[in-house]
Amino acid sequence: MTRLNPRAAAGIGIMVVSGFALAGCSGGPTVAPGESGAASEGTTTAQITFWDPYPQRETGSEWDTLVKSCAPDGSTIVRSSAPQSDLFNQLTTAVKEGNAPDIVLLDNPMMPEASSAGLLATAEQAGIDTAGIDENLLGPGIVDGVAYGVPMGSNALGLYYNKNILDAAGVNPADIKDWASLNTAIEKVVASGKKGITFSGVAGEEGVFQFEPWFWGAGANLSDLGSAEAISAGQLVSDWIGKGWAPRSAATDNQSASWDVFLTGDYGFAENGSWFAADAAALKDFTVGMIPIPAKDSAVAPVPTGGEFAVAPLQSKDASDHYANASSVIACLTTGDKATATSEALGYLSAKADVRAAQVAANAMWTPWVSIVEGAQGRTSELGATYVDVSAALSQAEQGALNAAGDASGVEAAFKDASGN
Amino acid sequence: MAITPPTRAPHPLETTSRADDAVVAGPHRRHAARLAAIAFVAPLVVYLVVFYGYPLVQNVAMSLQRYDRATFVSGGAPFVGLDIYREVIGQPKFWRIVGQTATFTLVSITVQYVVGLALAVFFQHNFRLSATLRAMFLVPWLLPVIVSGTTWQWMMNPDNGALNSLVGLFGVDPIWWLNADHALMSVIIANIWLGIPFNLVILYSGLQNIPTTLYEAAAIDGAGPWRRFWSITVPLLRPVSLITLLLGLVYTLKVVDIIWIMTMGTGTSQTLATWSYAMAFGKGASAVIKYSEASAVGGILLVIALAFGLVYIAVQRKQED
Repeated sequence: MTRLNPRAAAGIGIMVVSGFALAGCSGGPTVAPGESGAASEGTTTAQITFWDPYPQRETGSEWDTLVKSCAPDGSTIVRSSAPQSDLFNQLTTAVKEGNAPDIVLLDNPMMPEASSAGLLATAEQAGIDTAGIDENLLGPGIVDGVAYGVPMGSNALGLYYNKNILDAAGVNPADIKDWASLNTAIEKVVASGKKGITFSGVAGEEGVFQFEPWFWGAGANLSDLGSAEAISAGQLVSDWIGKGWAPRSAATDNQSASWDVFLTGDYGFAENGSWFAADAAALKDFTVGMIPIPAKDSAVAPVPTGGEFAVAPLQSKDASDHYANASSVIACLTTGDKATATSEALGYLSAKADVRAAQVAANAMWTPWVSIVEGAQGRTSELGATYVDVSAALSQAEQGALNAAGDASGVEAAFKDASGN
Repeated sequence: MAITPPTRAPHPLETTSRADDAVVAGPHRRHAARLAAIAFVAPLVVYLVVFYGYPLVQNVAMSLQRYDRATFVSGGAPFVGLDIYREVIGQPKFWRIVGQTATFTLVSITVQYVVGLALAVFFQHNFRLSATLRAMFLVPWLLPVIVSGTTWQWMMNPDNGALNSLVGLFGVDPIWWLNADHALMSVIIANIWLGIPFNLVILYSGLQNIPTTLYEAAAIDGAGPWRRFWSITVPLLRPVSLITLLLGLVYTLKVVDIIWIMTMGTGTSQTLATWSYAMAFGKGASAVIKYSEASAVGGILLVIALAFGLVYIAVQRKQED
């Protein structure tokens, strides 16, 4: 190994300096996304790009076919999919680089952050019709009084039960009216030799989504994570782990993994989403029923609204044409005769009362879900763009509570830490 | 300086005799030769600047400005100097995460190296099926990490995992492998398993380069196997050991995949690398994207890796002297 000679040192110096110069050039945005443009002033183009967070719905699937059938005359839709958080990051970069897609389906709690970061065109600009949408479901898409998109329907959380196990244990699901009666029911199931309840407590938004019914059901508020009500919700799920009523893998299970655990047929209850309703109805090994998730002192806890918003990203070039594309395709999917097909293909209940009524009339499976969806509460309605920070803290608190496995001081410490006091 | 055509075509090799050029050929030929030299070096320099220099500089620039999603898109992130570094290091969890990263890295590479060396020495003696067995030890290296990580997570299931059944045979109570307290231990176990093949392969090939005559001579002089190992294998393997440990260190410092698949960096399994990843892409417990903080932690990781690289060069130089 020889010493660095002066010439080489100078060379490296030049490299570093030119690197800084390059970085300097790209400090600003490549193209500034415009605030101008309107769907009414544009015409649809030959190719329309469509992004959604459903990589599991492959080319040729019911959803894929439905989306592509919504291409206006003379256009084709190019659809691509990525998981939620990746899609959001890709959208951020795409808007920065000025090559955003025409339509994106964005998870509803991301809406305030996306609009305040300047990624989205307003519903008015993009010609998206928000008439007839339930207020609670449209809520996450309204930021500072301006609507930014339209919900593609809504899913919600319920408490599924294995009827065979409950019958054998002598539990009547209609008796579950609050947390105390739920715990009594779970205890009976466990005493009968079966296991209690599955849920997803995985780190991140997914686990928080599943925790919120208990959190809100306790009367807790997202602006105060250290409250006695918040801690009592943490204690409830922590006790399930501590008593062995819930699998300890709940701390790492996502909602699909948690559903798989329920499908083993060993568990009496499962907290999970309406998107599994069709799956549950088709089960052969045992009969599955569903009741609303109980609150601490009442039969129905508020659940968070779930599902995506159809939005038009801000465009810097030919904005009006892109918005015309968005307007046409989103209208096709959410209004008129295809609206029902859209909800059914996604496994959601429609965000419009009349379409929802048609879904229920066609399929009784949806009946118990209607009141849950109508009573659901937007995650970001209270806090707006700061929800994501609070959600991160709540996730940390829930992880702490699950790890405490029933230990009350551990649960309390987890929530106090997360709330920062 | 005035430019006149060179008297004859310059040859690039002439750049190797610059000192003579300066005296004998005068400024014209020297100028042409330097142009040619620059032309030859330019592609490499451009490559280095575009693919190494620029991203590195961009990373540093990002950690000196306060970026959020809005300023990332529209520009105008304010320059804040070293504030981001101060904030990152000032967080109570920073030193905890550094400690976890150190434990993860040091325990992983130490055990990987010791087990890898033991296996390499074991396989040094050819016996029936030794090649087949050696190939089997490479399996962890060939499997995609998503497969082995998921399998480890599944084996470590606290309620009905294979690992708890195994320890149960020895009368040990079931362990909650992936909870906050045990997560670091669990990911270290999986990571050691992943890293053994790399150590085995490199150390085994190092052993092949030690002349067998040395061992024979030592045996004739009456040295036992233990003595032969410490007095021949260890000193002669030192250069190979050094590079194995250094590469292992750099690989282990930046591990994200196996940890992420098993625990998403929850509890004690959070390392600088997983923390930086989570903040850079808004994943895991936090959906909040933190470009600047992620760049700062990434920068700190780079500096640590660089420091060990310099240590390696220093040790190597000392050996050569």
